[in-house]
Amino acid sequence: MAGADSPSAALRRRDLCARGIRLAGKMRSDVVDLLDAYVERQGLDASASVAAVEGVPPAAVERWDEQTGTQRLLENLAAYRAFRALLAQMLEEQREQLGEADAALGRALAAVLLQVSAFAYHLEELLRLESRGPPSEEGDGPPPQPQGVFEQKLRGLGVLRELAQWAVRSARDLRQLAKPGPGSAPSPTESP
Amino acid sequence: DSPVQYERVGADVTMKCGSMDWDAAVTWTANGTDIDESRLNGSYLILKNVDLTQSGQYSCYEGSSWHLKYQTSLRVGTPPREPVLMCRSNNYPKGFYCSWHLPTPTYIPNTFNISVIHGTKEMVCEKDAVPKNRCHIRYLQLFSTVKYKVTLTVTNALGKNFTTLTFDEFAIVKPDPPESVVAKPVPNNPRRLEVSWQNPSSWPDPESFPLKFFLRYRPLILDQWQHVELSDGTSHTITDAYAGKEYIIQVAAKDNDIGTWSDWSVAVHATPWTEEPKHLTTEAQITETTSASTSSFMAPPTTKICDKGAMVGSGAMAVCWTAGLVVAAYSVLFI
Repeated sequence: MAGADSPSAALRRRDLCARGIRLAGKMRSDVVDLLDAYVERQGLDASASVAAVEGVPPAAVERWDEQTGTQRLLENLAAYRAFRALLAQMLEEQREQLGEADAALGRALAAVLLQVSAFAYHLEELLRLESRGPPSEEGDGPPPQPQGVFEQKLRGLGVLRELAQWAVRSARDLRQLAKPGPGSAPSPTESP
Repeated sequence: DSPVQYERVGADVTMKCGSMDWDAAVTWTANGTDIDESRLNGSYLILKNVDLTQSGQYSCYEGSSWHLKYQTSLRVGTPPREPVLMCRSNNYPKGFYCSWHLPTPTYIPNTFNISVIHGTKEMVCEKDAVPKNRCHIRYLQLFSTVKYKVTLTVTNALGKNFTTLTFDEFAIVKPDPPESVVAKPVPNNPRRLEVSWQNPSSWPDPESFPLKFFLRYRPLILDQWQHVELSDGTSHTITDAYAGKEYIIQVAAKDNDIGTWSDWSVAVHATPWTEEPKHLTTEAQITETTSASTSSFMAPPTTKICDKGAMVGSGAMAVCWTAGLVVAAYSVLFI
């Protein structure tokens, strides 16, 4: 396996970052559309403030510019794995609540879930290039399911809003990673 | 320094001459000019329905001794109306600034107080020295879904007012216009113009936060703009310009992912390359070699009757063969 800072690894990293940035952009656009549809179909108020929901990873970060490349990848991966589980639950809830009456919403949710899974895969690949490898998912239980239909809808709103923010943050993170220099690759003392 | 007295436009103002009795003989002045006694009620000065022109220094003197008994600086003004507040981030992700103004002047001093709350956290908006009605905030967090709430309160001696703005981190991002826009003709290409520009210098990290651009151009003689959106790079070649027509060109910028478009850049003008007309070059050469005169007038060559090689005679009597034959033919007719 090529070293983390070999030319082929650098090319692969740049390629993964470029594709990841494009995927994040598409994902954001689709999540924003889905958010509008979700608010309308679920009868919610678009301007409602949703307090931080348990299990939904917040995109907000302090000292973002000081993060190392590895920190960025690990935080992103943890978030998208969580979103993958949350969206799967939302899909199930949506089928139970609205069923065939809103197949379009179900399809849109499923499409975003697919993109989230693909993005998580990109992040795992990038972590493998860092010679670190992605952390195991063992022990990651399913997110707690809200009791009550209204709570489920509010959580859904929170999930999609945070995911839209994450998509923007992830594109920025990958651009930082793609930059040559410290913070985008492990330091010489870290590589094998 | 005399005390300041603030009064609203349209108010009725009564000024007492210090501790003087109502029936004391006094003289009031406004900015050094005596005030007519008809304005007095005893020793009190009555100003009804005051207006802005009545602001000034009012003094009261004891009648006989001319001792100054009272002095005040009257400032007529209005309480503040709801201020106009704007917040914008032109240097994302570093921070944002808020600026404000009053829709109408109050004519008296005002103080502004701004508070910025993000969730439960109160943030400090550092006032700029210049301009005075502006302050800036550094982002402590990025990518937050929690809204910012900015409240501006304006207070003066006659009242107070306030306004509140609530917004998302992304919504207020608006870069400054692109800088150093240059448009040049492309040699040997009569329909092309090469345009280049730079990122606004206030945008701190265009590599991690790339901008996209919108270019608009039109010939001066038309009103309709052509538009091109460019997702990367800071140059573009226009390939459909009308030959020989002067163009006006502008560029705007936006963060690739969030916020709104900047204002349009300063306009630049350019005309596509045109070929030099050949006949103008030839005549210029003839003018240089045959004439010592500085006159620019020259008879057009198509009006000449005959070539120099067919001339007979010399000086003023020189005629050409053709002209000579014509004259001879007429002469024969009239003999």
